[in-house]
Amino acid sequence: MQQQQQQQSQQPAPKKKKIRVPRSVNGIEQMVEIEVDDVNGPGWGPNDKHVLLNHPMTRVDGPQKVSGAAKYTYDQHPKNMLYGRILRCPHAHARVVNLDTSGAEKIPGVAAVIKGPLSELRFAGAPVAAVAAKTPEIAGDALRAIVVKYEVLPHVVKANAAVAEGAPKVVEPSDEANLQKKASRGDLAKVEAAFGSADAIVEAEYISQRIHHTCLETHGLTVDYSGGDSATVYASTQGTFTIPGDAAKALELPESAVTSVVQHMGGGFGSKFGIGIEGMLACKLSKQTKTPVKLMLTRYDEFVMAGNRSGSWQKLKGGVKNDGTLVAFQARQYRLGGVGQGSQAGQPYIYAAGESYREIFALHTNEDSSIAMRAPGHPQASFAIESLMDELAYKIKMDPVAFRKKNLTDKAYHRQLDRGAQAIGWDKRNPIAGGNPGPFKRGMGCAVGTWGGGGNNQCKVDVTISRDGSVLVAVGTQDLGTGTRTFTRAIVAEEFGLQLADIKEEIGNSKLGGANQSGGSTTAASLSPSVKDGAIKARLAFSERVAPLLNNAKPEEITFSGGNVSGGGKTLTWKQACATLPAAGVTARGEWRQDLQATGIHGAAFAEVEVDVETGHIKPIKMVHVQDGGLPLNRLALESQINGGMIQSLGQALWEGRVMDADLGMQVNPHFGDYKLPGSLEIPEMIPIIDDGDTREVVIGIAEGCIIPSLGAVVNAVFNACGVRVRELPITPDRILMGLKNQS
Amino acid sequence: MKKSDDEKKNQKRSHDPGRRSFLKGVSIAGAGAAVVDKLWIETEAREKKTAEPQIVSGSVKIVLDINGIKRSVEVEPRTTLLNTLRNHLDPALTGSKLVCDMGTCGACTVLLDGKPAYSCMVLAVDAVNRKITTVEGLGSPDNLNAVQAAFVQHDALMCGFCTPGFVTTISAYLKKNPNPSLAEVREACKGNFCRCGTYPRVFEAALAAAKSNKKV
Ligand code: FES
Ligand code: FES
Repeated sequence: MQQQQQQQSQQPAPKKKKIRVPRSVNGIEQMVEIEVDDVNGPGWGPNDKHVLLNHPMTRVDGPQKVSGAAKYTYDQHPKNMLYGRILRCPHAHARVVNLDTSGAEKIPGVAAVIKGPLSELRFAGAPVAAVAAKTPEIAGDALRAIVVKYEVLPHVVKANAAVAEGAPKVVEPSDEANLQKKASRGDLAKVEAAFGSADAIVEAEYISQRIHHTCLETHGLTVDYSGGDSATVYASTQGTFTIPGDAAKALELPESAVTSVVQHMGGGFGSKFGIGIEGMLACKLSKQTKTPVKLMLTRYDEFVMAGNRSGSWQKLKGGVKNDGTLVAFQARQYRLGGVGQGSQAGQPYIYAAGESYREIFALHTNEDSSIAMRAPGHPQASFAIESLMDELAYKIKMDPVAFRKKNLTDKAYHRQLDRGAQAIGWDKRNPIAGGNPGPFKRGMGCAVGTWGGGGNNQCKVDVTISRDGSVLVAVGTQDLGTGTRTFTRAIVAEEFGLQLADIKEEIGNSKLGGANQSGGSTTAASLSPSVKDGAIKARLAFSERVAPLLNNAKPEEITFSGGNVSGGGKTLTWKQACATLPAAGVTARGEWRQDLQATGIHGAAFAEVEVDVETGHIKPIKMVHVQDGGLPLNRLALESQINGGMIQSLGQALWEGRVMDADLGMQVNPHFGDYKLPGSLEIPEMIPIIDDGDTREVVIGIAEGCIIPSLGAVVNAVFNACGVRVRELPITPDRILMGLKNQS
Repeated sequence: MKKSDDEKKNQKRSHDPGRRSFLKGVSIAGAGAAVVDKLWIETEAREKKTAEPQIVSGSVKIVLDINGIKRSVEVEPRTTLLNTLRNHLDPALTGSKLVCDMGTCGACTVLLDGKPAYSCMVLAVDAVNRKITTVEGLGSPDNLNAVQAAFVQHDALMCGFCTPGFVTTISAYLKKNPNPSLAEVREACKGNFCRCGTYPRVFEAALAAAKSNKKV
């Protein structure tokens, strides 16, 4: 130790700095501080000095998407392609005793029937067999012709039944309890003592339902393989590079022989990584038939197995002083992840709550595993804690905004709460819950949330300037509809003083430079530093080339703007300058620079709703979300993303939810007819606000951040409107009416 | 005929409504139970017409008028218009998306004689002699119609999977009502879902398209 320090002091020590980075444990982001080299290079510059970034830019692939020209995985059609379908188990818990596929095999047009990978089926919807046929219609015939004999085993699908004595056991090994303790933190004795000093205490249980990602493009692959020694796999995925490894295994090919392609994809929201069981089955069908196979899940499949946000059941207790200071907090948190683990951020989430204690459990039921969904674990925690904070604020008759400011030390929240309050018209809010006259009662609520949003060092970006003046940026990353293509172009265009249309990008291919998967809002902060680095390096290499034409100006002093290259008192047009390049042009590879990105974002949400106290119907009136995130790459796309977060939150608050039948153990609403998504008639006035009070000159991802707090804001608005505190989501009219009845 | 024997067996075993021989008295029923009149059915079974209803399978040759071009295609009578566009035309038209396949989301919207229809709910054989317009027929990347251009301008799309459906629905609506209110636009789009949450900007784009001097 001593020696090391001495050594360091002898050599010029690399500058170090401390940064906070997210670490993911069971899908829950935790912030830890690490020491890193203080890399110095040209930065982004002040946020208000950009010419393209931090401006509204229309997305560069927009014209393709609005005209139907954009090809998604679902749209691929290699020659002779077969269609795959999966047969699913109708029982919540069963074993396959006999699988007779002979009838299916006889149907003309059926090319292959294969068995599913599981021996014991622990949820309704588990894959039992898969077929490949000439048309999707024939594939459907084949599924209907497969005869399966099941041994049906006892099941449990309701959380409260799963913890009852004698409940059927859900997970392996069979003596494993359905309720498993995962973590605890805090000193219970101290917490109990702290409750003794509280002026007011609220203790309540909050339940959030399981909701579905419902990506409009279902999960699946199009495997272009015809028996040769290589394959191309089109995947609807959030990770181009998560595909070739597993696909190669299933196709029994070397990994390098498989290329994955993700040109456009129709929604993932956290649910699309790796090839999944469906991808594995698609590859096996293709391998067996030596023919390309497209296997996209049906909508039913998508509901029963392709993803849901874990439910939560949280027993919370909070104690406050009359001045609003939280002094004591206790939580017992159940993650409802079916056969999986589920996720839930630890309570009291973002609040400093004096003494606090929490225990976190996984509670298993015979349902498919939950899958990471936009900000995994956070909306659940935020909904419960923001409800509790609201209940405490009302109990001590304190304004909910003031109450939050009292208990949040980070000033970013204070700034955002003020901004949001002003945008929603908080001063018009009636502080008395249900206090407005008439049957249509309006109310307002607020909530706050946080996320990481930092990047990692996986992106390798090649920037090439050609002699004809064209510029190509190439990297294997994917665009989920988040605008990756557009900001990639914009960063390079800005560096070269060009327009978006002057740049071309090539993405979504595993043969291009490596890239991280798009999960946890990491894409912008991983990709943009590498793009910027590549652009800077290409600019310097280019400058060296053209310097002789510019009176031998120093490369770093040559400037690029407005389509011109200037230095040494001379100016060339971009095309003139490029004409001096060798035939191969100039290429530079950009690597990630941690100083160009950061982590840690804040958001505040406000909602106004109108509750009809005669019918229990809730009409959303207005929503506001204030979001920071360092340098906004594209204001137009960011606002769209904030809108999207608010709308998805609204869906969870008021309408969405998987409904399970306890006896059958099946989902009874596995289609859009009965699973209520937000639609055009219910969308309130929406105000997405980019928080320019955040002047950090770094890129941070915001996708997750903008889905977290709206849930609490809506729930609290409903209470303010009608005085009914609904602690179980979604807030359906019957729950309002029941609450009103219990009041009177 | 071995095939129809097999299918009779299947039919008894299965509870799938698509296989029920509910077409009493109709001489031809496709495996998907489509009634096909005015069409020439390419099966031997038709020749052996008997008094009893029969289940036969096979495909029909039809000509569809799509985006102003006559396209001939061979499909089973049970094939939806959506699957015909996407799977059977060569080259295919994949702008219309398959999302729910049961008439609940609008991603497959096409125009039939100018009126929006869920193409997953229309059999291809029923679209014969009608003018079919898909999103590709409304404009191309280099020549967008007013609605498409406004969608790009107002960022009314994210992943874009719902977008062709919205564009098609709104394009038809603006022809009917060139100067709609916000409430009317919302009403017009109520048969289309967007999961990414583009609604506010879809409304903006529709209103802007109505005001633009580009062609719908
Ligand atoms: S796919 Fe036709 S309405 Fe959904
Ligand atoms: S843009 Fe993705 S579903 Fe609408």
